[in-house]
Amino acid sequence: MKQSALALALSALATAAYAQSTDEKLRILQQEIDELKAQMQKPSPGSVGQAGSATTISGYGEFNYNNYKSDTRPTQADLRRFVFGLHHRFDDRLTFHSEVEFEHAVVSRDDEGEVELEQAWVNYKFSDAVNVKGGLFLIPLGILNETHEPPTYYGVERNEVETRIIPTTWRELGVGMHGLVGGGFRYDVGITTGFDSGKLDDPSVGIRSAHQEGQLANAHDLSAYGALNYRSRGLLVGGGVFAGNTGQNGASNPLLKGVDARLTLWDVHAQYKVGRLELQAVYADGKLADADQLNASILATSAEPFAAPNRMKGAYVQAAYHIYKRDKLDFAPFVRLEGIDIRQQEDPANGLFQDPANHERITTAGFNFWVHPQVVLKADVQRYRTDPTKDRFDLGLGYMF
Amino acid sequence: MRPRLLALVLGLCAAQALGEVYQAPEAFVAEVFGTLPAPRVLWLSRKMQAQASAILNHPPAALRQRYWSDGAKSVWILEEIGKEELITAGFVVSQGHIDHVRVLAYRESRGQEVRDPSFLKQFSGAGLDQSDHLDRGIDGISGATLSVHAMERMARLALYFDRWSRD
Repeated sequence: MKQSALALALSALATAAYAQSTDEKLRILQQEIDELKAQMQKPSPGSVGQAGSATTISGYGEFNYNNYKSDTRPTQADLRRFVFGLHHRFDDRLTFHSEVEFEHAVVSRDDEGEVELEQAWVNYKFSDAVNVKGGLFLIPLGILNETHEPPTYYGVERNEVETRIIPTTWRELGVGMHGLVGGGFRYDVGITTGFDSGKLDDPSVGIRSAHQEGQLANAHDLSAYGALNYRSRGLLVGGGVFAGNTGQNGASNPLLKGVDARLTLWDVHAQYKVGRLELQAVYADGKLADADQLNASILATSAEPFAAPNRMKGAYVQAAYHIYKRDKLDFAPFVRLEGIDIRQQEDPANGLFQDPANHERITTAGFNFWVHPQVVLKADVQRYRTDPTKDRFDLGLGYMF
Repeated sequence: MRPRLLALVLGLCAAQALGEVYQAPEAFVAEVFGTLPAPRVLWLSRKMQAQASAILNHPPAALRQRYWSDGAKSVWILEEIGKEELITAGFVVSQGHIDHVRVLAYRESRGQEVRDPSFLKQFSGAGLDQSDHLDRGIDGISGATLSVHAMERMARLALYFDRWSRD
Protein backbone atom coordinates (compact mmCIF):
# COMPACT_ATOMS: atom_id res chain seq x y z
CA MET A 1 0.00 0.00 0.00
CA LYS A 2 2.85 2.31 0.99
CA GLN A 3 4.66 1.48 -2.23
CA SER A 4 1.55 2.27 -4.27
CA ALA A 5 1.14 5.60 -2.49
CA LEU A 6 4.79 6.42 -3.06
CA ALA A 7 4.49 5.53 -6.77
CA LEU A 8 1.36 7.68 -7.08
CA ALA A 9 3.07 10.61 -5.35
CA LEU A 10 6.14 10.31 -7.60
CA SER A 11 3.88 10.08 -10.65
CA ALA A 12 1.96 13.20 -9.57
CA LEU A 13 5.20 15.07 -8.98
CA ALA A 14 6.50 14.02 -12.37
CA THR A 15 3.25 15.17 -14.02
CA ALA A 16 3.39 18.49 -12.17
CA ALA A 17 7.02 18.95 -13.17
CA TYR A 18 6.14 18.15 -16.79
CA ALA A 19 3.19 20.57 -16.72
CA GLN A 20 5.32 23.37 -15.31
CA SER A 21 7.97 22.64 -17.85
CA THR A 22 5.43 22.84 -20.68
CA ASP A 23 3.99 26.09 -19.34
CA GLU A 24 7.45 27.47 -19.02
CA LYS A 25 8.33 26.42 -22.53
CA LEU A 26 5.16 28.04 -23.84
CA ARG A 27 5.94 31.21 -21.93
CA ILE A 28 9.44 31.29 -23.37
CA LEU A 29 8.10 30.54 -26.83
CA GLN A 30 5.61 33.38 -26.53
CA GLN A 31 8.34 35.68 -25.30
CA GLU A 32 10.60 34.74 -28.18
CA ILE A 33 7.83 35.33 -30.69
CA ASP A 34 7.01 38.69 -29.15
CA GLU A 35 10.64 39.67 -29.35
CA LEU A 36 10.84 38.55 -32.95
CA LYS A 37 7.72 40.53 -33.77
CA ALA A 38 9.20 43.59 -32.10
CA GLN A 39 12.40 43.18 -34.09
CA MET A 40 10.46 42.77 -37.33
CA GLN A 41 8.52 45.95 -36.64
CA LYS A 42 11.65 48.00 -36.04
CA PRO A 43 12.70 49.99 -39.09
CA SER A 44 15.24 48.05 -41.05
CA PRO A 45 17.12 49.70 -43.90
CA GLY A 46 16.19 48.22 -47.24
CA SER A 47 12.76 46.94 -46.31
CA VAL A 48 10.11 48.69 -48.34
CA GLY A 49 6.40 49.14 -48.10
CA GLN A 50 5.50 46.96 -45.11
CA ALA A 51 4.01 48.19 -41.88
CA GLY A 52 6.87 48.98 -39.55
CA SER A 53 9.51 49.01 -42.27
CA ALA A 54 11.84 51.98 -42.62
CA THR A 55 10.58 52.95 -46.06
CA THR A 56 6.92 53.13 -46.97
CA ILE A 57 5.00 53.92 -50.13
CA SER A 58 1.83 55.93 -50.48
CA GLY A 59 -0.11 57.13 -53.48
CA TYR A 60 -3.19 58.75 -54.91
CA GLY A 61 -4.57 59.59 -58.30
CA GLU A 62 -7.62 60.42 -60.35
CA PHE A 63 -9.15 59.87 -63.77
CA ASN A 64 -11.51 62.61 -64.90
CA TYR A 65 -14.04 63.10 -67.68
CA ASN A 66 -15.29 66.61 -68.58
CA ASN A 67 -18.20 67.02 -70.95
CA TYR A 68 -18.74 70.71 -71.75
CA LYS A 69 -22.14 72.03 -72.72
CA SER A 70 -20.56 74.43 -75.18
CA ASP A 71 -18.98 73.25 -78.41
CA THR A 72 -16.21 75.78 -77.93
CA ARG A 73 -14.53 73.47 -75.41
CA PRO A 74 -13.59 69.87 -76.12
CA THR A 75 -15.05 66.95 -74.22
CA GLN A 76 -12.09 65.15 -72.67
CA ALA A 77 -11.07 62.21 -70.55
CA ASP A 78 -7.81 62.60 -68.70
CA LEU A 79 -5.56 60.75 -66.33
CA ARG A 80 -5.39 63.95 -64.33
CA ARG A 81 -2.75 62.89 -61.87
CA PHE A 82 -0.84 59.84 -60.71
CA VAL A 83 1.08 60.45 -57.52
CA PHE A 84 3.28 58.19 -55.47
CA GLY A 85 4.99 59.00 -52.23
CA LEU A 86 8.14 57.61 -50.71
CA HIS A 87 8.63 58.04 -47.00
CA HIS A 88 11.59 56.97 -44.93
CA ARG A 89 12.21 56.78 -41.22
CA PHE A 90 15.88 57.31 -40.40
CA ASP A 91 15.25 56.86 -36.68
CA ASP A 92 12.48 57.45 -34.17
CA ARG A 93 12.55 61.20 -34.74
CA LEU A 94 14.01 61.89 -38.16
CA THR A 95 11.81 61.17 -41.19
CA PHE A 96 11.65 62.00 -44.88
CA HIS A 97 8.47 62.54 -46.90
CA SER A 98 8.02 62.96 -50.63
CA GLU A 99 5.44 62.88 -53.41
CA VAL A 100 6.13 62.66 -57.12
CA GLU A 101 3.33 63.60 -59.48
CA PHE A 102 2.67 62.69 -63.09
CA GLU A 103 -0.02 64.77 -64.78
CA HIS A 104 -1.93 63.96 -67.98
CA ALA A 105 -0.48 60.48 -68.51
CA VAL A 106 2.25 61.26 -71.05
CA VAL A 107 5.27 63.43 -70.50
CA SER A 108 7.25 64.54 -73.50
CA ARG A 109 8.22 67.73 -75.30
CA ASP A 110 5.15 67.51 -77.54
CA ASP A 111 2.64 66.59 -74.84
CA GLU A 112 0.81 68.33 -72.03
CA GLY A 113 2.04 66.04 -69.28
CA GLU A 114 4.31 67.09 -66.44
CA VAL A 115 6.40 65.34 -63.84
CA GLU A 116 6.90 67.31 -60.69
CA LEU A 117 8.01 66.91 -57.12
CA GLU A 118 5.04 67.92 -55.05
CA GLN A 119 6.81 67.44 -51.74
CA ALA A 120 10.28 66.46 -50.55
CA TRP A 121 11.05 67.38 -46.97
CA VAL A 122 12.82 66.15 -43.88
CA ASN A 123 11.12 66.34 -40.48
CA TYR A 124 12.70 66.16 -37.04
CA LYS A 125 10.23 65.46 -34.29
CA PHE A 126 11.22 66.70 -30.85
CA SER A 127 7.73 65.93 -29.64
CA ASP A 128 4.16 66.21 -30.90
CA ALA A 129 4.34 69.90 -29.97
CA VAL A 130 7.67 70.66 -31.61
CA ASN A 131 8.62 69.51 -35.11
CA VAL A 132 11.08 71.23 -37.40
CA LYS A 133 11.20 70.57 -41.13
CA GLY A 134 13.11 71.63 -44.18
CA GLY A 135 12.80 71.09 -47.91
CA LEU A 136 9.97 71.45 -50.39
CA PHE A 137 6.68 71.32 -48.49
CA LEU A 138 3.03 72.33 -48.73
CA ILE A 139 1.92 75.72 -47.45
CA PRO A 140 -0.83 75.36 -44.80
CA LEU A 141 -3.47 77.67 -46.26
CA GLY A 142 -7.03 76.54 -46.82
CA ILE A 143 -8.25 72.97 -46.42
CA LEU A 144 -7.44 71.47 -49.82
CA ASN A 145 -3.78 72.38 -50.16
CA GLU A 146 -2.57 69.97 -47.50
CA THR A 147 -5.37 67.40 -47.85
CA HIS A 148 -5.90 67.00 -51.58
CA GLU A 149 -6.29 63.27 -52.17
CA PRO A 150 -9.45 62.73 -54.29
CA PRO A 151 -11.37 60.62 -51.73
CA THR A 152 -11.03 63.46 -49.19
CA TYR A 153 -12.89 66.17 -51.12
CA TYR A 154 -16.18 66.56 -52.97
CA GLY A 155 -16.44 67.12 -56.69
CA VAL A 156 -14.58 65.72 -59.65
CA GLU A 157 -12.56 68.91 -60.06
CA ARG A 158 -10.95 70.69 -57.14
CA ASN A 159 -12.86 73.77 -56.04
CA GLU A 160 -11.98 77.03 -57.81
CA VAL A 161 -11.29 79.10 -54.67
CA GLU A 162 -8.53 76.75 -53.61
CA THR A 163 -7.20 76.65 -57.17
CA ARG A 164 -7.35 80.26 -58.38
CA ILE A 165 -6.98 82.17 -55.09
CA ILE A 166 -5.03 79.64 -53.02
CA PRO A 167 -2.87 78.00 -55.71
CA THR A 168 -3.27 74.34 -54.71
CA THR A 169 -1.10 72.27 -54.77
CA TRP A 170 1.11 75.04 -53.45
CA ARG A 171 4.55 74.22 -52.16
CA GLU A 172 7.66 76.22 -51.38
CA LEU A 173 11.26 75.57 -50.41
CA GLY A 174 12.08 76.54 -46.87
CA VAL A 175 12.18 75.72 -43.20
CA GLY A 176 9.27 75.45 -40.84
CA MET A 177 8.12 74.48 -37.40
CA HIS A 178 4.85 72.79 -36.55
CA GLY A 179 3.16 70.93 -33.77
CA LEU A 180 0.07 70.10 -31.80
CA VAL A 181 -0.47 72.08 -28.61
CA GLY A 182 -3.22 72.74 -26.13
CA GLY A 183 -5.44 69.79 -26.94
CA GLY A 184 -6.25 70.22 -30.61
CA PHE A 185 -4.49 73.38 -31.75
CA ARG A 186 -1.98 72.80 -34.55
CA TYR A 187 0.40 75.61 -35.41
CA ASP A 188 2.60 76.01 -38.49
CA VAL A 189 5.19 78.75 -38.98
CA GLY A 190 8.08 79.09 -41.37
CA ILE A 191 10.20 80.98 -43.85
CA THR A 192 10.16 79.93 -47.48
CA THR A 193 10.70 80.98 -51.04
CA GLY A 194 7.82 83.02 -52.44
CA PHE A 195 6.30 84.05 -55.75
CA ASP A 196 8.09 85.81 -58.60
CA SER A 197 5.88 88.50 -60.17
CA GLY A 198 8.20 88.62 -63.15
CA LYS A 199 6.76 85.22 -64.12
CA LEU A 200 3.09 86.34 -64.09
CA ASP A 201 1.42 85.29 -67.34
CA ASP A 202 -2.20 84.47 -66.46
CA PRO A 203 -4.26 86.89 -64.34
CA SER A 204 -7.28 84.57 -64.37
CA VAL A 205 -5.61 82.48 -61.66
CA GLY A 206 -4.49 85.37 -59.47
CA ILE A 207 -0.94 84.90 -58.23
CA ARG A 208 -0.78 81.23 -59.28
CA SER A 209 1.16 81.75 -62.50
CA ALA A 210 3.96 83.41 -60.49
CA HIS A 211 4.59 80.32 -58.38
CA GLN A 212 8.07 78.81 -58.48
CA GLU A 213 7.55 75.25 -57.14
CA GLY A 214 11.13 74.81 -56.05
CA GLN A 215 12.46 74.98 -59.59
CA LEU A 216 15.56 77.21 -59.50
CA ALA A 217 13.40 79.53 -57.43
CA ASN A 218 14.46 83.15 -57.32
CA ALA A 219 15.04 83.69 -53.62
CA HIS A 220 16.06 87.33 -53.28
CA ASP A 221 12.73 87.91 -51.55
CA LEU A 222 11.68 85.29 -49.04
CA SER A 223 8.23 84.90 -47.55
CA ALA A 224 6.87 83.97 -44.15
CA TYR A 225 3.79 81.97 -43.26
CA GLY A 226 1.81 81.12 -40.19
CA ALA A 227 -1.30 79.03 -39.62
CA LEU A 228 -3.37 77.93 -36.66
CA ASN A 229 -5.99 75.18 -36.85
CA TYR A 230 -8.19 73.64 -34.22
CA ARG A 231 -9.35 70.10 -34.82
CA SER A 232 -11.64 68.00 -32.75
CA ARG A 233 -14.25 65.33 -33.35
CA GLY A 234 -15.85 66.34 -36.65
CA LEU A 235 -14.68 69.95 -36.36
CA LEU A 236 -11.97 71.99 -38.06
CA VAL A 237 -11.63 75.74 -37.64
CA GLY A 238 -8.56 77.63 -38.71
CA GLY A 239 -6.76 80.13 -40.82
CA GLY A 240 -3.39 81.06 -42.22
CA VAL A 241 -1.41 83.89 -43.73
CA PHE A 242 1.45 83.99 -46.23
CA ALA A 243 3.34 87.21 -46.94
CA GLY A 244 6.42 88.32 -48.81
CA ASN A 245 7.75 90.44 -51.62
CA THR A 246 7.54 89.04 -55.13
CA GLY A 247 9.70 91.41 -57.18
CA GLN A 248 12.76 89.17 -56.69
CA ASN A 249 15.00 92.12 -57.51
CA GLY A 250 14.07 91.85 -61.17
CA ALA A 251 15.55 88.39 -61.64
CA SER A 252 12.82 87.43 -64.13
CA ASN A 253 11.97 90.91 -65.38
CA PRO A 254 14.60 93.67 -65.05
CA LEU A 255 11.87 96.30 -64.76
CA LEU A 256 11.01 94.87 -61.36
CA LYS A 257 14.45 95.58 -59.93
CA GLY A 258 13.86 97.43 -56.68
CA VAL A 259 10.09 96.79 -56.81
CA ASP A 260 8.66 95.06 -53.73
CA ALA A 261 5.37 93.84 -55.25
CA ARG A 262 4.40 92.57 -51.82
CA LEU A 263 1.91 89.74 -51.65
CA THR A 264 -0.24 89.07 -48.61
CA LEU A 265 -2.55 86.08 -48.89
CA TRP A 266 -4.70 84.80 -46.04
CA ASP A 267 -7.65 82.57 -45.39
CA VAL A 268 -10.09 81.36 -42.80
CA HIS A 269 -11.85 78.01 -43.07
CA ALA A 270 -14.16 75.68 -41.22
CA GLN A 271 -15.43 72.16 -41.58
CA TYR A 272 -18.06 70.48 -39.44
CA LYS A 273 -19.28 66.92 -39.62
CA VAL A 274 -22.19 65.95 -37.46
CA GLY A 275 -23.94 62.66 -37.98
CA ARG A 276 -24.41 62.25 -41.73
CA LEU A 277 -24.13 65.97 -42.50
CA GLU A 278 -20.91 67.66 -43.62
CA LEU A 279 -20.51 71.42 -43.91
CA GLN A 280 -17.46 73.25 -45.19
CA ALA A 281 -16.55 76.86 -45.94
CA VAL A 282 -13.41 78.73 -47.00
CA TYR A 283 -12.73 82.44 -47.46
CA ALA A 284 -9.44 83.49 -49.05
CA ASP A 285 -8.18 87.00 -49.70
CA GLY A 286 -4.97 88.40 -51.17
CA LYS A 287 -3.37 91.67 -52.17
CA LEU A 288 -0.51 92.24 -54.58
CA ALA A 289 1.11 95.67 -54.27
CA ASP A 290 2.88 97.83 -56.88
CA ALA A 291 0.50 96.77 -59.64
CA ASP A 292 1.39 99.84 -61.75
CA GLN A 293 5.03 98.73 -61.91
CA LEU A 294 3.87 95.20 -62.62
CA ASN A 295 1.77 96.51 -65.52
CA ALA A 296 4.80 98.38 -66.89
CA SER A 297 6.94 95.25 -66.71
CA ILE A 298 4.21 93.20 -68.41
CA LEU A 299 3.77 95.78 -71.19
CA ALA A 300 7.51 95.78 -71.83
CA THR A 301 7.96 92.02 -72.07
CA SER A 302 4.68 90.25 -72.80
CA ALA A 303 3.51 89.52 -76.34
CA GLU A 304 -0.07 89.59 -75.07
CA PRO A 305 -0.10 92.19 -72.28
CA PHE A 306 -2.68 91.96 -69.51
CA ALA A 307 -3.59 93.97 -66.45
CA ALA A 308 -1.78 92.68 -63.37
CA PRO A 309 -3.92 91.26 -60.58
CA ASN A 310 -3.88 93.45 -57.49
CA ARG A 311 -6.59 91.92 -55.34
CA MET A 312 -7.90 88.40 -55.32
CA LYS A 313 -10.55 86.94 -53.11
CA GLY A 314 -12.95 84.05 -53.12
CA ALA A 315 -15.22 82.02 -50.91
CA TYR A 316 -17.29 78.88 -51.01
CA VAL A 317 -19.79 77.06 -48.89
CA GLN A 318 -20.46 73.37 -49.31
CA ALA A 319 -22.88 70.88 -47.84
CA ALA A 320 -22.97 67.10 -48.22
CA TYR A 321 -25.18 64.43 -46.74
CA HIS A 322 -24.35 60.74 -46.45
CA ILE A 323 -27.60 59.18 -47.62
CA TYR A 324 -26.31 55.62 -47.64
CA LYS A 325 -23.44 54.38 -45.52
CA ARG A 326 -22.98 50.71 -44.90
CA ASP A 327 -19.98 48.43 -44.83
CA LYS A 328 -17.45 49.98 -47.23
CA LEU A 329 -20.08 51.76 -49.31
CA ASP A 330 -20.81 55.43 -48.74
CA PHE A 331 -22.99 57.60 -50.98
CA ALA A 332 -23.14 61.34 -50.41
CA PRO A 333 -24.71 64.01 -52.65
CA PHE A 334 -23.29 67.52 -52.22
CA VAL A 335 -23.74 71.07 -53.41
CA ARG A 336 -21.14 73.85 -53.47
CA LEU A 337 -21.54 77.57 -54.13
CA GLU A 338 -18.40 79.50 -55.01
CA GLY A 339 -17.50 83.08 -55.76
CA ILE A 340 -14.25 84.32 -57.29
CA ASP A 341 -13.22 87.94 -57.65
CA ILE A 342 -9.78 88.71 -59.11
CA ARG A 343 -9.37 92.43 -59.63
CA GLN A 344 -6.82 93.77 -62.07
CA GLN A 345 -4.98 97.08 -62.24
CA GLU A 346 -6.54 98.70 -65.28
CA ASP A 347 -4.48 100.99 -67.53
CA PRO A 348 -6.85 102.14 -70.31
CA ALA A 349 -4.19 104.31 -71.94
CA ASN A 350 -2.19 101.17 -72.67
CA GLY A 351 -5.15 98.91 -73.35
CA LEU A 352 -5.03 96.96 -70.07
CA PHE A 353 -8.50 96.20 -68.74
CA GLN A 354 -10.25 94.04 -66.20
CA ASP A 355 -11.21 90.63 -67.60
CA PRO A 356 -14.91 90.16 -66.71
CA ALA A 357 -14.39 86.38 -66.53
CA ASN A 358 -12.31 86.94 -63.39
CA HIS A 359 -15.48 87.75 -61.53
CA GLU A 360 -17.21 84.40 -61.45
CA ARG A 361 -19.92 82.51 -59.58
CA ILE A 362 -19.92 78.73 -59.76
CA THR A 363 -22.52 76.24 -58.63
CA THR A 364 -21.54 72.58 -58.39
CA ALA A 365 -23.91 69.75 -57.52
CA GLY A 366 -23.25 66.03 -57.63
CA PHE A 367 -22.24 63.09 -55.52
CA ASN A 368 -19.31 61.13 -54.17
CA PHE A 369 -19.75 57.37 -54.01
CA TRP A 370 -17.06 55.63 -52.01
CA VAL A 371 -16.87 51.95 -52.93
CA HIS A 372 -14.12 51.70 -50.32
CA PRO A 373 -13.06 54.38 -47.84
CA GLN A 374 -10.07 55.02 -50.10
CA VAL A 375 -11.65 54.66 -53.54
CA VAL A 376 -14.31 57.07 -54.81
CA LEU A 377 -16.51 57.49 -57.86
CA LYS A 378 -17.70 61.03 -58.50
CA ALA A 379 -20.20 62.80 -60.74
CA ASP A 380 -21.32 66.41 -60.83
CA VAL A 381 -22.61 69.27 -62.95
CA GLN A 382 -21.03 72.71 -62.82
CA ARG A 383 -22.60 76.02 -63.81
CA TYR A 384 -20.54 79.18 -64.41
CA ARG A 385 -22.56 82.38 -64.31
CA THR A 386 -20.03 84.69 -66.06
CA ASP A 387 -18.52 82.26 -68.54
CA PRO A 388 -21.18 79.65 -69.39
CA THR A 389 -18.84 77.99 -71.91
CA LYS A 390 -17.35 76.28 -68.83
CA ASP A 391 -20.69 74.67 -67.89
CA ARG A 392 -20.08 70.95 -67.83
CA PHE A 393 -20.82 67.47 -66.62
CA ASP A 394 -17.96 65.69 -64.86
CA LEU A 395 -17.19 62.09 -63.97
CA GLY A 396 -14.25 60.95 -61.90
CA LEU A 397 -12.55 58.02 -60.25
CA GLY A 398 -10.07 58.66 -57.45
CA TYR A 399 -8.06 56.64 -54.99
CA MET A 400 -5.50 56.95 -52.25
CA PHE A 401 -3.43 54.59 -50.13
CA MET B 1 19.31 87.29 -25.76
CA ARG B 2 21.22 84.49 -23.98
CA PRO B 3 18.48 83.71 -21.46
CA ARG B 4 15.98 83.46 -24.35
CA LEU B 5 18.27 81.10 -26.27
CA LEU B 6 18.79 79.03 -23.14
CA ALA B 7 15.03 78.89 -22.55
CA LEU B 8 14.50 77.74 -26.15
CA VAL B 9 17.13 75.00 -25.83
CA LEU B 10 15.72 73.86 -22.49
CA GLY B 11 12.25 73.90 -23.98
CA LEU B 12 13.29 71.73 -26.90
CA CYS B 13 15.12 69.32 -24.58
CA ALA B 14 12.09 69.05 -22.34
CA ALA B 15 9.93 68.42 -25.38
CA GLN B 16 12.34 65.74 -26.59
CA ALA B 17 11.90 63.89 -23.32
CA LEU B 18 8.19 63.47 -24.07
CA GLY B 19 8.78 61.31 -27.11
CA GLU B 20 6.03 59.70 -29.22
CA VAL B 21 5.14 56.75 -26.96
CA TYR B 22 2.57 58.21 -24.62
CA GLN B 23 2.15 55.16 -22.43
CA ALA B 24 3.77 51.73 -22.35
CA PRO B 25 1.26 48.93 -23.07
CA GLU B 26 2.08 47.25 -19.74
CA ALA B 27 1.35 50.50 -17.89
CA PHE B 28 -2.00 50.78 -19.68
CA VAL B 29 -2.93 47.21 -18.75
CA ALA B 30 -1.87 47.75 -15.13
CA GLU B 31 -3.93 50.95 -15.03
CA VAL B 32 -7.03 49.07 -16.20
CA PHE B 33 -6.73 46.16 -13.76
CA GLY B 34 -4.90 47.82 -10.89
CA THR B 35 -2.17 45.27 -11.35
CA LEU B 36 -0.51 43.57 -14.30
CA PRO B 37 -2.21 40.18 -14.78
CA ALA B 38 -0.59 37.37 -16.71
CA PRO B 39 -1.28 37.70 -20.40
CA ARG B 40 -3.55 35.24 -22.17
CA VAL B 41 -3.29 34.17 -25.77
CA LEU B 42 -6.06 33.91 -28.36
CA TRP B 43 -5.15 31.42 -31.05
CA LEU B 44 -6.57 32.50 -34.40
CA SER B 45 -8.35 29.68 -36.20
CA ARG B 46 -8.68 29.81 -39.99
CA LYS B 47 -12.16 31.25 -39.63
CA MET B 48 -10.93 33.96 -37.28
CA GLN B 49 -7.99 34.75 -39.55
CA ALA B 50 -10.35 35.18 -42.47
CA GLN B 51 -12.65 37.53 -40.56
CA ALA B 52 -9.71 39.47 -39.09
CA SER B 53 -8.42 39.92 -42.66
CA ALA B 54 -11.83 41.20 -43.73
CA ILE B 55 -11.88 43.71 -40.88
CA LEU B 56 -8.32 44.94 -41.42
CA ASN B 57 -8.26 44.71 -45.22
CA HIS B 58 -5.06 42.70 -44.82
CA PRO B 59 -4.02 39.54 -42.96
CA PRO B 60 -3.48 39.91 -39.20
CA ALA B 61 0.11 40.49 -38.10
CA ALA B 62 0.17 37.32 -35.95
CA LEU B 63 -1.76 34.12 -35.57
CA ARG B 64 -1.81 34.38 -31.80
CA GLN B 65 -3.06 37.54 -30.17
CA ARG B 66 -1.98 38.35 -26.65
CA TYR B 67 -4.55 39.92 -24.35
CA TRP B 68 -5.29 40.51 -20.72
CA SER B 69 -8.52 39.71 -18.89
CA ASP B 70 -9.97 39.46 -15.41
CA GLY B 71 -13.13 37.77 -16.62
CA ALA B 72 -15.15 40.97 -16.73
CA LYS B 73 -12.90 43.15 -18.85
CA SER B 74 -10.40 42.37 -21.55
CA VAL B 75 -7.60 44.56 -22.85
CA TRP B 76 -6.28 44.40 -26.40
CA ILE B 77 -3.14 46.18 -27.52
CA LEU B 78 -3.34 46.49 -31.30
CA GLU B 79 -1.28 48.10 -34.00
CA GLU B 80 -2.35 49.33 -37.41
CA ILE B 81 -0.80 51.58 -39.99
CA GLY B 82 -2.39 54.99 -40.56
CA LYS B 83 -0.83 56.62 -43.59
CA GLU B 84 2.83 55.72 -43.24
CA GLU B 85 3.43 54.57 -39.67
CA LEU B 86 2.00 52.21 -37.06
CA ILE B 87 -0.47 53.47 -34.50
CA THR B 88 -0.49 51.55 -31.21
CA ALA B 89 -3.75 51.69 -29.28
CA GLY B 90 -5.19 50.00 -26.22
CA PHE B 91 -8.83 48.86 -26.25
CA VAL B 92 -10.71 47.91 -23.10
CA VAL B 93 -13.73 45.72 -23.80
CA SER B 94 -16.47 44.89 -21.34
CA GLN B 95 -19.64 42.87 -22.00
CA GLY B 96 -19.08 42.97 -25.74
CA HIS B 97 -18.78 46.75 -25.85
CA ILE B 98 -15.81 49.07 -25.80
CA ASP B 99 -15.27 50.59 -22.39
CA HIS B 100 -12.57 53.00 -23.43
CA VAL B 101 -9.73 53.50 -25.91
CA ARG B 102 -6.35 55.13 -25.65
CA VAL B 103 -3.69 55.85 -28.27
CA LEU B 104 -0.46 54.56 -26.74
CA ALA B 105 1.95 55.49 -29.54
CA TYR B 106 1.56 57.65 -32.64
CA ARG B 107 4.51 57.82 -34.95
CA GLU B 108 3.43 59.99 -37.89
CA SER B 109 4.42 63.66 -38.06
CA ARG B 110 0.77 64.74 -38.43
CA GLY B 111 -2.60 63.42 -37.31
CA GLN B 112 -2.00 63.21 -33.56
CA GLU B 113 -5.51 64.66 -33.20
CA VAL B 114 -6.78 61.06 -33.01
CA ARG B 115 -5.62 61.22 -29.38
CA ASP B 116 -8.27 63.86 -28.74
CA PRO B 117 -10.50 62.58 -25.87
CA SER B 118 -13.65 63.83 -27.59
CA PHE B 119 -12.77 61.72 -30.64
CA LEU B 120 -11.88 58.60 -28.63
CA LYS B 121 -14.99 58.97 -26.47
CA GLN B 122 -17.11 58.08 -29.50
CA PHE B 123 -15.88 54.49 -29.24
CA SER B 124 -17.11 54.06 -25.66
CA GLY B 125 -20.16 51.81 -25.65
CA ALA B 126 -19.68 50.75 -29.26
CA GLY B 127 -20.29 47.12 -30.14
CA LEU B 128 -20.40 45.08 -33.32
CA ASP B 129 -23.43 44.66 -35.54
CA GLN B 130 -24.26 41.41 -37.31
CA SER B 131 -21.71 42.05 -40.05
CA ASP B 132 -18.94 42.87 -37.55
CA HIS B 133 -19.06 46.60 -38.17
CA LEU B 134 -19.28 49.15 -35.39
CA ASP B 135 -22.89 49.67 -34.41
CA ARG B 136 -22.44 53.45 -34.60
CA GLY B 137 -20.88 56.05 -36.87
CA ILE B 138 -17.58 57.63 -35.87
CA ASP B 139 -17.12 61.31 -36.73
CA GLY B 140 -13.73 61.76 -38.35
CA ILE B 141 -11.00 64.35 -37.98
CA SER B 142 -10.11 66.57 -40.92
CA GLY B 143 -6.61 65.85 -42.16
CA ALA B 144 -6.33 62.56 -40.24
CA THR B 145 -8.65 60.43 -42.40
CA LEU B 146 -6.43 57.37 -42.69
CA SER B 147 -5.58 57.39 -38.98
CA VAL B 148 -9.30 57.56 -38.15
CA HIS B 149 -9.94 54.58 -40.43
CA ALA B 150 -7.12 52.67 -38.72
CA MET B 151 -8.65 53.36 -35.30
CA GLU B 152 -12.04 52.10 -36.50
CA ARG B 153 -10.51 48.89 -37.87
CA MET B 154 -8.68 48.23 -34.61
CA ALA B 155 -11.83 48.85 -32.57
CA ARG B 156 -13.73 46.30 -34.67
CA LEU B 157 -10.90 43.78 -34.31
CA ALA B 158 -10.73 44.22 -30.53
CA LEU B 159 -14.48 43.56 -30.25
CA TYR B 160 -14.24 40.58 -32.59
CA PHE B 161 -11.34 39.06 -30.67
CA ASP B 162 -13.09 39.71 -27.36
CA ARG B 163 -16.14 37.78 -28.57
CA TRP B 164 -14.02 34.75 -29.36
CA SER B 165 -12.05 35.03 -26.13
CA ARG B 166 -15.31 34.64 -24.20
CA ASP B 167 -16.54 31.65 -26.20
